[in-house]
Amino acid sequence: MLNLSARRRRQLFPYLILGPGLLWLIVFFAIPLANQLYVSLQSGDAETGFQFTWAFDTYPQAISDYSQQFLRSIQFAAAATIIDFIIAFPLAYFIAFKAGRWRNVMLLLVVLPFFVSYVLRTVAWQLILNDNGWVVARLRDLGVLSADGRLLATDVAVIAGIAYNFLPFMVLPLYVSLEKVDRRFIEAATDLYASRVTAFRKITLPLALPGIFAGTLLTFIPAIGDFVNAALLGSPQQTMIGNVIQSQFLTIRDYPTAAALSFVLMAAILLAIFAFARLLGTSTLTQAAT
Amino acid sequence: MPNESMESALERWLDEQTRSSRRAFLGRAGSAGLALSGLSAVLAACGGVSGESTKGVNLNATANHPKVAVGELDFSNWPLYIDKKVLPQWDKLTGGSVKYVEDINDNNEFFGKVRQQLVQKKPIGRDLVALTDYMAARWVRDGYTQPIDKRNIPNGVKNLQPTLRSVKWDPKRNYSLPWQSGATGIGYNIKETGGDIKSLDAFFDPKFKDKVTMLTEPYDSASLTLLTMGIDPTNATIDQILQGIAKISKYNDKGQFRRFTGNDYSTDLTKGNIAIAMAYSGDLVQLAADNPNLRFVYPEQGAMLFTDNMMIPSKAAHPYAAETMMNFVYEPQVAAKITKAVSYISPVVGAREVLAKSDPAIANSPLVFPSDAIRKRLHPYPTLTPAEERQMQAAMAKVTGA
Repeated sequence: MLNLSARRRRQLFPYLILGPGLLWLIVFFAIPLANQLYVSLQSGDAETGFQFTWAFDTYPQAISDYSQQFLRSIQFAAAATIIDFIIAFPLAYFIAFKAGRWRNVMLLLVVLPFFVSYVLRTVAWQLILNDNGWVVARLRDLGVLSADGRLLATDVAVIAGIAYNFLPFMVLPLYVSLEKVDRRFIEAATDLYASRVTAFRKITLPLALPGIFAGTLLTFIPAIGDFVNAALLGSPQQTMIGNVIQSQFLTIRDYPTAAALSFVLMAAILLAIFAFARLLGTSTLTQAAT
Repeated sequence: MPNESMESALERWLDEQTRSSRRAFLGRAGSAGLALSGLSAVLAACGGVSGESTKGVNLNATANHPKVAVGELDFSNWPLYIDKKVLPQWDKLTGGSVKYVEDINDNNEFFGKVRQQLVQKKPIGRDLVALTDYMAARWVRDGYTQPIDKRNIPNGVKNLQPTLRSVKWDPKRNYSLPWQSGATGIGYNIKETGGDIKSLDAFFDPKFKDKVTMLTEPYDSASLTLLTMGIDPTNATIDQILQGIAKISKYNDKGQFRRFTGNDYSTDLTKGNIAIAMAYSGDLVQLAADNPNLRFVYPEQGAMLFTDNMMIPSKAAHPYAAETMMNFVYEPQVAAKITKAVSYISPVVGAREVLAKSDPAIANSPLVFPSDAIRKRLHPYPTLTPAEERQMQAAMAKVTGA
């Protein structure tokens, strides 16, 4: 054992408990990221090998070639996030405020889909949305879809698939922050003649902001990089940037372009997070983390 | 005894599971490859990118693997691509123990997973792998495989289908031995088409607009398109192949194709979302068993013939054991069992005779045992240079939106 003074040990302690997490981040995040950056600046081809040449022009090239898919990914992820919020907020509110002894059962039900593989659940959506299935038939009856209209291989199917798959990521953070809301604040507000709507608007909603922030990020970020839903529920008109990166890495084996696309995607997500944090107020960012 | 009935029920269920072919399985289960490919993409990116090619692979090279005691054997294959009951037989026969792993879901994905070790000339922990022609060609060309000692595979030498004895990328079959073959042709749902389909032109027929799927893999889709243009795909130049892809692109812009698929066209076809799919023969044998409206046809212009090839990776630890496995599956009795389980085209002469006695329905199915007349219309994939292959993949990716 090292013979350290008590003071010194106290100083080292925070680093020691930080150690495993830090090591994990370095090995599985920082190093691959640096490597990815290095690869993105190489040029060459898969057979003869790639050389590091500061090939910055891969970036503008990749962005202009796949701007359509980038834009589409942002639109799909945003649409799915909004849908998830609309579904998840009332659900989380109900679980937190009204569910009583059913609370744990309902939370379990929210998490239950995770017990089945993500890809399998998406394949199940292929069956649910199929042209001759119940859902499409009813939508045709209601006139929402034309007589030969369909859902699969359309934007609707892909967005619905993403929204379904990431819904629990929205529900759980919302639930946690709603559950933490001190009921006495709401009572006090109503005692001071605030209507229930005003109390909700002035008390509940602001206190739930950290959950809204966390839930939105947890939904939007994986959704924007998703490629499974577009591959299984979409057509070439629904290809997302994740599909492009996958095909560049595995089929075309243009590793620099694939790496550059990944970086651009990451940068776009970071920018979006900062813009969003500004929108909700910077303090919620730190609150969301605690 | 309730326990016994449960066991037999379980066994029946397992039997039914193994009956569906590997490609059909992928369609239904939603290719696990999709889920995994994210990971392999990360792996492919790790650790820099060095070149893959090795110059001057000697296609005439032979090997000398003396008989040794057989121990472990690591065999990687596609899911549901064997009758697992034959594996213990091999163990018993050779005294070895085979570790049979179904971890090849997609040629590109599997290559992405082991590429790093192959390029660095390190073992990949497998003694035997089965890869499709174009990927097998890449492995042989780039020196990722080692020659096989044919003296250890008398059954393979004797029973290999004559039409498969020589391929462009391995003229003497010194590096590879076919596992199973299959045809890429037209799968259709007769309820949706309203009649029999015979010609590849159906893929481009405006009558079926938005009711057609094509395969994402250009070795299949571009090749079959070339057949509609009167061009022999096996010997096509890259310019001709690009013309074929241009034709696909033109019709895609008009909205002819609903989707470009991997193995997952089966759901769309079964549910009647589409009328016509570019499809694999073995899949349709299985799908038709569940849905009598589904048919497979060898188009009048011809179909593509693909073969998955057994190969020994260059630094494999147990080449002799791998050769005994190759020899074992070329025993007609064993091959017949595998054919019965997977419904693909067996490369083993004699398997049909065995099945004619036990399962005449399978032995007489033209999808499993095509006649000589049909075999003449089955075209092998074109052999392309690495640069041409990338050019083709990139052109096709543009069409499929990726």
